[in-house]
Amino acid sequence: MTLTEAHVALFAGVAETRRALDPGAVPDLLPLCLSSGLGWRVPQPPLVVLAFMGFEWRFLQPARIGDTIRSRSRTLTKRPMREGGIIVEGREILNQRGEIVQSGRLTLLVARRPRP
Amino acid sequence: MLCYGLVSAGEAVHFEDIRVGEEYTSPARTVTEADIVIFAGLSGDYNVLHTDAEYMKASLFGERIAHGLLGLSIQQGLLARGMPAWAGESLGGLRWKLKGPIKIGDTIHVRARVAAKKAAAGPGPGVVTIARTVLNQRGEVVQEGETEHAVQRRGG
Repeated sequence: MTLTEAHVALFAGVAETRRALDPGAVPDLLPLCLSSGLGWRVPQPPLVVLAFMGFEWRFLQPARIGDTIRSRSRTLTKRPMREGGIIVEGREILNQRGEIVQSGRLTLLVARRPRP
Repeated sequence: MLCYGLVSAGEAVHFEDIRVGEEYTSPARTVTEADIVIFAGLSGDYNVLHTDAEYMKASLFGERIAHGLLGLSIQQGLLARGMPAWAGESLGGLRWKLKGPIKIGDTIHVRARVAAKKAAAGPGPGVVTIARTVLNQRGEVVQEGETEHAVQRRGG
């Protein structure tokens, strides 16, 4: 997904972010937010997430308007619970040069398959 | 690095000016259905948790809830209004816990404290850690965590 002025303007409106002095700058949290929707566009069906519990995240380099980002995820750990299970997802956001822009791990409560 | 301050780097608060233990309180903001719809459209995250009122009636939460990352984004904007701008500030990392749902109509605000400061070995920016708590109108903690910020030194 290519980061545009429109993404930055919409994000600034909803998050009340002050606009940067640098007109090409992208708010640090925006690529992270966009990565949550990128995961819906892969052929695999989405995880049935009951709740997002927490995460750790590193901002490794700034993204700029015009950069094209993609996201890569991997299941790191899986722990069954009564209501569902805890999944730890490792995620990286890469730019068009293949550089990791942001990365981290997210903890999700995921539903069990319904009993037939 | 990015600077979201209203003032230029020359006038903003530098690494040396920040004291561990400083506290800030943000203004409050009511999270609306429109916020959630716009965030779903922006992020592409159309999970039923945020978009399907009927399905959510039978869920753990009883109604649609805000995206966790929407809450994170809103608190970032709110706290920026409740504290001085830091010179050349950029986010380096965060550790974040989603403790409870933010529902449509909830009014949230942020309490924050400078938890730690670490100077770089060279002349580069220092790292300042802020501990943040996001509370709703009943004083319940809905999100909490720490954010690490690179902040320019004076003359740096």
